[in-house]
Amino acid sequence: MYIIVVGGGAVGHGLALELQQMPDHEVAIVELSGSRASELRAEIGEMVVHGDGSEIAFLEGVGAGRADLLIAVTADDGANLVTCQVAKHWFNVKRTIARVNDPRNEALFLRLGVDSIVSAAGAVMAQIEATLPEHTIIPLMALEGSRLHVVDIRVQEGSPAAGQRLRDLVFPPEVLVSVVIGKSGANVPSGDTVLQVGDEVIAVIPRESDAAVRKMIAGPTEGA
Amino acid sequence: MRILIMGCGRVGAGLATQLADEGHEVTVLDTDSFAFNRLLPKFNGRRLVGSGTDDRMLIEAGIEQTECFIALASGDNRNILASQKAKEIYGVKTVVTRVKDPLRSELFARLGLHTFSPTKVGVTLAHEAIFQGA
Repeated sequence: MYIIVVGGGAVGHGLALELQQMPDHEVAIVELSGSRASELRAEIGEMVVHGDGSEIAFLEGVGAGRADLLIAVTADDGANLVTCQVAKHWFNVKRTIARVNDPRNEALFLRLGVDSIVSAAGAVMAQIEATLPEHTIIPLMALEGSRLHVVDIRVQEGSPAAGQRLRDLVFPPEVLVSVVIGKSGANVPSGDTVLQVGDEVIAVIPRESDAAVRKMIAGPTEGA
Repeated sequence: MRILIMGCGRVGAGLATQLADEGHEVTVLDTDSFAFNRLLPKFNGRRLVGSGTDDRMLIEAGIEQTECFIALASGDNRNILASQKAKEIYGVKTVVTRVKDPLRSELFARLGLHTFSPTKVGVTLAHEAIFQGA
Protein backbone atom coordinates (compact mmCIF):
# COMPACT_ATOMS: atom_id res chain seq x y z
CA MET A 1 0.00 0.00 0.00
CA TYR A 2 1.21 3.53 -0.78
CA ILE A 3 0.41 6.06 1.97
CA ILE A 4 0.94 9.83 1.72
CA VAL A 5 1.04 11.80 4.96
CA VAL A 6 0.71 15.56 4.55
CA GLY A 7 2.05 17.55 7.52
CA GLY A 8 5.26 16.86 9.41
CA GLY A 9 4.32 18.33 12.77
CA ALA A 10 3.95 16.30 15.95
CA VAL A 11 1.13 14.17 14.54
CA GLY A 12 2.78 13.57 11.16
CA HIS A 13 6.10 12.76 12.81
CA GLY A 14 4.46 10.26 15.16
CA LEU A 15 2.61 8.65 12.27
CA ALA A 16 5.82 8.37 10.26
CA LEU A 17 7.54 6.52 13.09
CA GLU A 18 4.61 4.09 13.39
CA LEU A 19 4.39 3.52 9.64
CA GLN A 20 8.14 2.85 9.44
CA GLN A 21 7.50 -0.26 11.52
CA MET A 22 5.23 -1.60 8.78
CA PRO A 23 7.70 -2.59 6.08
CA ASP A 24 5.09 -3.65 3.52
CA HIS A 25 3.97 -0.10 3.00
CA GLU A 26 5.52 2.69 1.00
CA VAL A 27 5.20 6.00 2.80
CA ALA A 28 5.78 9.64 1.83
CA ILE A 29 5.75 12.42 4.42
CA VAL A 30 5.07 15.84 2.91
CA GLU A 31 6.19 18.92 4.82
CA LEU A 32 5.67 22.53 3.73
CA SER A 33 8.48 24.12 5.72
CA GLY A 34 11.92 23.56 4.23
CA SER A 35 13.76 23.64 7.55
CA ARG A 36 11.30 21.28 9.23
CA ALA A 37 11.52 18.95 6.23
CA SER A 38 15.34 18.73 6.45
CA GLU A 39 15.08 18.12 10.18
CA LEU A 40 12.63 15.24 9.62
CA ARG A 41 14.68 13.89 6.74
CA ALA A 42 17.76 13.71 8.95
CA GLU A 43 15.80 11.64 11.44
CA ILE A 44 13.45 9.53 9.31
CA GLY A 45 15.16 9.48 5.93
CA GLU A 46 14.28 9.66 2.28
CA MET A 47 10.56 9.28 2.72
CA VAL A 48 10.32 12.97 3.73
CA VAL A 49 9.49 15.32 0.85
CA HIS A 50 9.51 19.12 0.99
CA GLY A 51 6.51 20.73 -0.68
CA ASP A 52 2.92 21.98 -0.58
CA GLY A 53 0.65 18.96 -0.16
CA SER A 54 -2.42 20.87 -1.28
CA GLU A 55 -0.88 21.70 -4.67
CA ILE A 56 -1.97 19.42 -7.49
CA ALA A 57 1.27 19.70 -9.49
CA PHE A 58 3.32 18.77 -6.43
CA LEU A 59 1.11 15.81 -5.49
CA GLU A 60 1.42 14.57 -9.07
CA GLY A 61 5.19 14.56 -8.57
CA VAL A 62 5.01 12.37 -5.47
CA GLY A 63 2.78 9.90 -7.29
CA ALA A 64 -0.57 10.71 -5.70
CA GLY A 65 -2.23 8.98 -8.65
CA ARG A 66 -1.18 5.60 -7.29
CA ALA A 67 -1.71 6.36 -3.58
CA ASP A 68 -4.12 4.13 -1.67
CA LEU A 69 -4.45 6.42 1.31
CA LEU A 70 -3.82 10.10 2.00
CA ILE A 71 -3.71 11.48 5.53
CA ALA A 72 -3.70 15.27 6.05
CA VAL A 73 -2.58 16.21 9.55
CA THR A 74 -1.36 19.81 9.37
CA ALA A 75 -2.42 22.42 11.95
CA ASP A 76 -4.36 24.24 9.20
CA ASP A 77 -7.92 23.02 8.61
CA GLY A 78 -8.11 24.71 5.21
CA ALA A 79 -5.03 22.85 4.00
CA ASN A 80 -6.26 19.53 5.42
CA LEU A 81 -9.67 19.83 3.77
CA VAL A 82 -8.39 21.00 0.39
CA THR A 83 -5.63 18.36 0.35
CA CYS A 84 -8.17 15.58 0.93
CA GLN A 85 -10.54 16.99 -1.69
CA VAL A 86 -7.69 17.23 -4.22
CA ALA A 87 -6.64 13.64 -3.43
CA LYS A 88 -10.15 12.34 -3.78
CA HIS A 89 -11.44 14.26 -6.77
CA TRP A 90 -8.29 14.87 -8.83
CA PHE A 91 -6.26 11.74 -8.12
CA ASN A 92 -9.06 9.33 -7.13
CA VAL A 93 -7.24 8.28 -3.96
CA LYS A 94 -9.45 5.62 -2.40
CA ARG A 95 -9.35 6.77 1.19
CA THR A 96 -8.66 10.13 2.83
CA ILE A 97 -8.27 11.00 6.49
CA ALA A 98 -8.11 14.57 7.81
CA ARG A 99 -7.19 16.02 11.14
CA VAL A 100 -9.74 18.60 12.24
CA ASN A 101 -8.30 21.31 14.49
CA ASP A 102 -11.47 23.37 14.98
CA PRO A 103 -14.22 20.98 16.15
CA ARG A 104 -16.83 23.16 14.41
CA ASN A 105 -15.39 21.98 11.08
CA GLU A 106 -16.08 18.28 11.69
CA ALA A 107 -19.49 18.08 9.99
CA LEU A 108 -18.33 20.11 6.97
CA PHE A 109 -15.33 17.85 6.35
CA LEU A 110 -17.47 14.71 6.35
CA ARG A 111 -20.11 16.34 4.17
CA LEU A 112 -17.49 17.33 1.60
CA GLY A 113 -16.27 13.78 1.19
CA VAL A 114 -13.37 13.33 3.61
CA ASP A 115 -13.67 9.64 4.58
CA SER A 116 -12.59 9.91 8.20
CA ILE A 117 -11.74 12.75 10.52
CA VAL A 118 -9.52 12.79 13.56
CA SER A 119 -10.30 15.40 16.18
CA ALA A 120 -8.84 15.54 19.67
CA ALA A 121 -11.70 17.64 21.00
CA GLY A 122 -14.21 15.38 19.27
CA ALA A 123 -12.72 12.26 20.82
CA VAL A 124 -12.97 13.72 24.30
CA MET A 125 -16.49 15.02 23.71
CA ALA A 126 -17.65 11.60 22.52
CA GLN A 127 -16.58 10.15 25.83
CA ILE A 128 -18.42 12.89 27.65
CA GLU A 129 -21.61 12.65 25.65
CA ALA A 130 -21.79 8.92 26.15
CA THR A 131 -22.32 9.49 29.82
CA LEU A 132 -24.25 12.76 30.03
CA PRO A 133 -26.24 14.07 31.80
CA GLU A 134 -25.62 12.39 35.14
CA HIS A 135 -21.88 11.94 35.06
CA THR A 136 -19.76 13.68 37.62
CA ILE A 137 -16.33 12.15 37.09
CA ILE A 138 -15.31 9.92 34.19
CA PRO A 139 -11.94 8.24 33.97
CA LEU A 140 -10.68 8.83 30.42
CA MET A 141 -7.24 7.27 30.42
CA ALA A 142 -4.94 5.49 32.83
CA LEU A 143 -1.36 6.71 32.80
CA GLU A 144 0.80 3.63 32.73
CA GLY A 145 3.11 2.92 35.60
CA SER A 146 1.66 5.48 37.94
CA ARG A 147 -1.27 6.08 40.21
CA LEU A 148 -2.38 8.94 38.03
CA HIS A 149 -5.23 8.97 35.59
CA VAL A 150 -6.92 11.48 33.30
CA VAL A 151 -10.50 12.27 34.26
CA ASP A 152 -13.36 14.38 33.00
CA ILE A 153 -15.43 16.24 35.58
CA ARG A 154 -18.46 18.43 35.00
CA VAL A 155 -19.03 21.53 37.10
CA GLN A 156 -22.63 21.16 38.32
CA GLU A 157 -25.11 23.37 40.19
CA GLY A 158 -24.02 23.69 43.79
CA SER A 159 -20.38 22.96 43.04
CA PRO A 160 -18.07 24.74 45.51
CA ALA A 161 -15.73 25.49 42.58
CA ALA A 162 -18.34 27.27 40.42
CA GLY A 163 -17.53 30.96 40.10
CA GLN A 164 -14.09 30.48 41.66
CA ARG A 165 -10.72 31.22 40.11
CA LEU A 166 -8.55 28.12 39.82
CA ARG A 167 -5.80 29.80 41.89
CA ASP A 168 -8.23 30.14 44.80
CA LEU A 169 -9.08 26.44 44.89
CA VAL A 170 -7.04 24.18 47.13
CA PHE A 171 -6.75 20.82 45.42
CA PRO A 172 -5.25 17.65 46.89
CA PRO A 173 -1.56 17.19 45.98
CA GLU A 174 -0.64 16.17 42.42
CA VAL A 175 -3.92 17.36 40.90
CA LEU A 176 -3.37 19.06 37.54
CA VAL A 177 -6.30 20.79 35.84
CA SER A 178 -5.28 20.54 32.18
CA VAL A 179 -8.18 21.63 29.99
CA VAL A 180 -11.39 23.52 30.68
CA ILE A 181 -14.10 23.09 28.07
CA GLY A 182 -16.64 25.89 28.33
CA LYS A 183 -18.94 27.81 26.01
CA SER A 184 -16.01 29.14 24.00
CA GLY A 185 -14.53 25.69 23.43
CA ALA A 186 -11.57 23.93 24.98
CA ASN A 187 -8.94 26.09 26.67
CA VAL A 188 -5.79 25.53 28.66
CA PRO A 189 -6.65 27.22 31.94
CA SER A 190 -4.58 29.71 33.90
CA GLY A 191 -4.82 30.59 37.58
CA ASP A 192 -7.29 33.29 36.59
CA THR A 193 -9.66 30.91 34.83
CA VAL A 194 -13.07 31.00 36.51
CA LEU A 195 -14.99 27.74 36.51
CA GLN A 196 -18.64 28.00 35.46
CA VAL A 197 -21.55 25.64 35.97
CA GLY A 198 -21.66 23.42 32.88
CA ASP A 199 -17.91 23.53 32.22
CA GLU A 200 -16.07 20.28 31.59
CA VAL A 201 -12.75 19.95 33.33
CA ILE A 202 -10.09 17.53 32.10
CA ALA A 203 -7.59 16.85 34.87
CA VAL A 204 -4.75 14.52 35.73
CA ILE A 205 -5.30 13.30 39.28
CA PRO A 206 -4.12 10.51 41.61
CA ARG A 207 -6.77 7.80 41.89
CA GLU A 208 -7.01 8.20 45.65
CA SER A 209 -8.11 11.80 45.18
CA ASP A 210 -11.14 10.93 43.01
CA ALA A 211 -13.66 11.48 45.78
CA ALA A 212 -12.13 14.73 46.99
CA VAL A 213 -11.83 16.20 43.48
CA ARG A 214 -15.35 15.11 42.57
CA LYS A 215 -16.71 16.87 45.64
CA MET A 216 -14.78 20.06 44.87
CA ILE A 217 -15.51 20.38 41.18
CA ALA A 218 -18.68 18.43 40.47
CA GLY A 219 -20.39 19.32 43.70
CA PRO A 220 -22.93 17.32 45.71
CA THR A 221 -24.38 14.23 44.05
CA GLU A 222 -27.51 12.25 44.78
CA GLY A 223 -26.75 9.17 46.83
CA ALA A 224 -23.18 10.25 47.44
CA MET B 1 -27.43 43.57 -2.02
CA ARG B 2 -25.70 42.46 1.20
CA ILE B 3 -22.14 41.50 0.35
CA LEU B 4 -19.40 40.03 2.54
CA ILE B 5 -15.81 40.28 1.35
CA MET B 6 -13.09 38.16 2.96
CA GLY B 7 -9.67 39.73 2.57
CA CYS B 8 -8.91 43.44 2.27
CA GLY B 9 -5.88 43.34 -0.01
CA ARG B 10 -5.71 45.47 -3.16
CA VAL B 11 -8.43 43.50 -4.91
CA GLY B 12 -10.66 43.19 -1.82
CA ALA B 13 -10.36 46.88 -0.97
CA GLY B 14 -10.90 47.98 -4.56
CA LEU B 15 -13.95 45.80 -4.98
CA ALA B 16 -15.38 46.84 -1.59
CA THR B 17 -15.05 50.52 -2.42
CA GLN B 18 -16.66 50.06 -5.81
CA LEU B 19 -19.56 47.95 -4.53
CA ALA B 20 -20.26 50.37 -1.65
CA ASP B 21 -20.20 53.20 -4.20
CA GLU B 22 -22.84 51.38 -6.21
CA GLY B 23 -25.08 51.37 -3.13
CA HIS B 24 -24.55 47.86 -1.82
CA GLU B 25 -24.33 47.01 1.86
CA VAL B 26 -20.71 45.84 2.17
CA THR B 27 -18.84 44.18 5.04
CA VAL B 28 -15.08 43.60 4.76
CA LEU B 29 -13.32 41.02 6.87
CA ASP B 30 -9.55 40.83 7.35
CA THR B 31 -7.30 39.28 9.98
CA ASP B 32 -5.15 42.43 10.00
CA SER B 33 -6.75 45.81 10.80
CA PHE B 34 -3.89 47.52 8.94
CA ALA B 35 -5.37 46.17 5.70
CA PHE B 36 -8.33 48.54 6.06
CA ASN B 37 -5.99 51.43 5.22
CA ARG B 38 -6.34 50.31 1.62
CA LEU B 39 -10.01 51.30 1.63
CA LEU B 40 -10.71 54.77 0.27
CA PRO B 41 -11.91 57.27 2.90
CA LYS B 42 -15.33 57.42 1.25
CA PHE B 43 -15.94 53.70 1.96
CA ASN B 44 -19.07 53.59 4.14
CA GLY B 45 -19.30 49.84 4.74
CA ARG B 46 -18.45 47.75 7.79
CA ARG B 47 -14.87 46.71 8.66
CA LEU B 48 -14.34 43.66 10.84
CA VAL B 49 -11.09 42.17 12.12
CA GLY B 50 -11.15 38.38 12.08
CA SER B 51 -10.71 35.22 10.09
CA GLY B 52 -13.17 34.25 7.38
CA THR B 53 -12.64 30.56 8.13
CA ASP B 54 -13.89 31.00 11.71
CA ASP B 55 -17.62 30.31 12.05
CA ARG B 56 -18.04 32.66 14.98
CA MET B 57 -16.53 35.47 12.93
CA LEU B 58 -18.59 34.66 9.84
CA ILE B 59 -21.80 34.81 11.89
CA GLU B 60 -20.75 38.11 13.45
CA ALA B 61 -20.10 39.41 9.94
CA GLY B 62 -23.68 38.53 9.05
CA ILE B 63 -23.07 35.56 6.76
CA GLU B 64 -26.57 34.24 7.53
CA GLN B 65 -28.14 37.33 5.93
CA THR B 66 -25.54 37.75 3.18
CA GLU B 67 -26.53 37.28 -0.43
CA CYS B 68 -23.01 37.33 -1.80
CA PHE B 69 -19.70 36.10 -0.35
CA ILE B 70 -16.38 36.80 -2.04
CA ALA B 71 -13.18 35.11 -0.82
CA LEU B 72 -10.12 37.22 -1.63
CA ALA B 73 -7.70 36.30 1.18
CA SER B 74 -4.10 35.55 0.24
CA GLY B 75 -4.25 31.78 0.86
CA ASP B 76 -6.03 29.55 -1.66
CA ASN B 77 -6.96 26.94 0.93
CA ARG B 78 -8.48 29.50 3.30
CA ASN B 79 -10.55 30.93 0.46
CA ILE B 80 -11.74 27.47 -0.53
CA LEU B 81 -12.58 26.45 3.07
CA ALA B 82 -14.48 29.69 3.76
CA SER B 83 -16.33 29.53 0.43
CA GLN B 84 -17.46 25.96 0.99
CA LYS B 85 -18.74 26.99 4.43
CA ALA B 86 -20.62 29.95 2.94
CA LYS B 87 -22.22 27.72 0.34
CA GLU B 88 -22.81 24.46 2.21
CA ILE B 89 -23.50 25.62 5.76
CA TYR B 90 -24.89 29.12 5.41
CA GLY B 91 -26.60 28.75 2.04
CA VAL B 92 -25.18 31.98 0.57
CA LYS B 93 -26.63 32.41 -2.94
CA THR B 94 -23.60 33.79 -4.75
CA VAL B 95 -20.13 32.66 -3.70
CA VAL B 96 -17.01 33.74 -5.61
CA THR B 97 -13.59 32.32 -4.79
CA ARG B 98 -10.15 33.49 -5.83
CA VAL B 99 -7.76 30.55 -6.25
CA LYS B 100 -4.27 31.50 -7.42
CA ASP B 101 -3.26 27.95 -8.36
CA PRO B 102 -4.90 27.38 -11.79
CA LEU B 103 -5.28 23.62 -11.31
CA ARG B 104 -6.92 23.97 -7.90
CA SER B 105 -9.14 26.68 -9.37
CA GLU B 106 -10.21 24.27 -12.11
CA LEU B 107 -10.87 21.42 -9.67
CA PHE B 108 -13.03 23.44 -7.31
CA ALA B 109 -14.97 24.93 -10.20
CA ARG B 110 -15.74 21.35 -11.17
CA LEU B 111 -16.84 20.72 -7.58
CA GLY B 112 -19.34 23.58 -7.77
CA LEU B 113 -17.57 26.73 -6.60
CA HIS B 114 -17.44 29.82 -8.77
CA THR B 115 -13.65 30.20 -8.86
CA PHE B 116 -11.29 32.38 -10.82
CA SER B 117 -7.52 32.22 -11.06
CA PRO B 118 -5.61 35.52 -11.22
CA THR B 119 -2.56 33.52 -12.32
CA LYS B 120 -4.34 32.22 -15.38
CA VAL B 121 -5.80 35.66 -16.15
CA GLY B 122 -2.33 37.22 -15.81
CA VAL B 123 -0.69 34.67 -18.09
CA THR B 124 -3.36 35.20 -20.72
CA LEU B 125 -3.09 39.01 -20.58
CA ALA B 126 0.72 39.00 -20.72
CA HIS B 127 0.69 36.56 -23.61
CA GLU B 128 -1.80 38.68 -25.51
CA ALA B 129 0.24 41.82 -24.88
CA ILE B 130 3.37 40.21 -26.32
CA PHE B 131 1.78 39.31 -29.61
CA GLN B 132 -0.45 42.33 -29.99
CA GLY B 133 2.40 44.50 -31.23
CA ALA B 134 4.05 41.76 -33.28
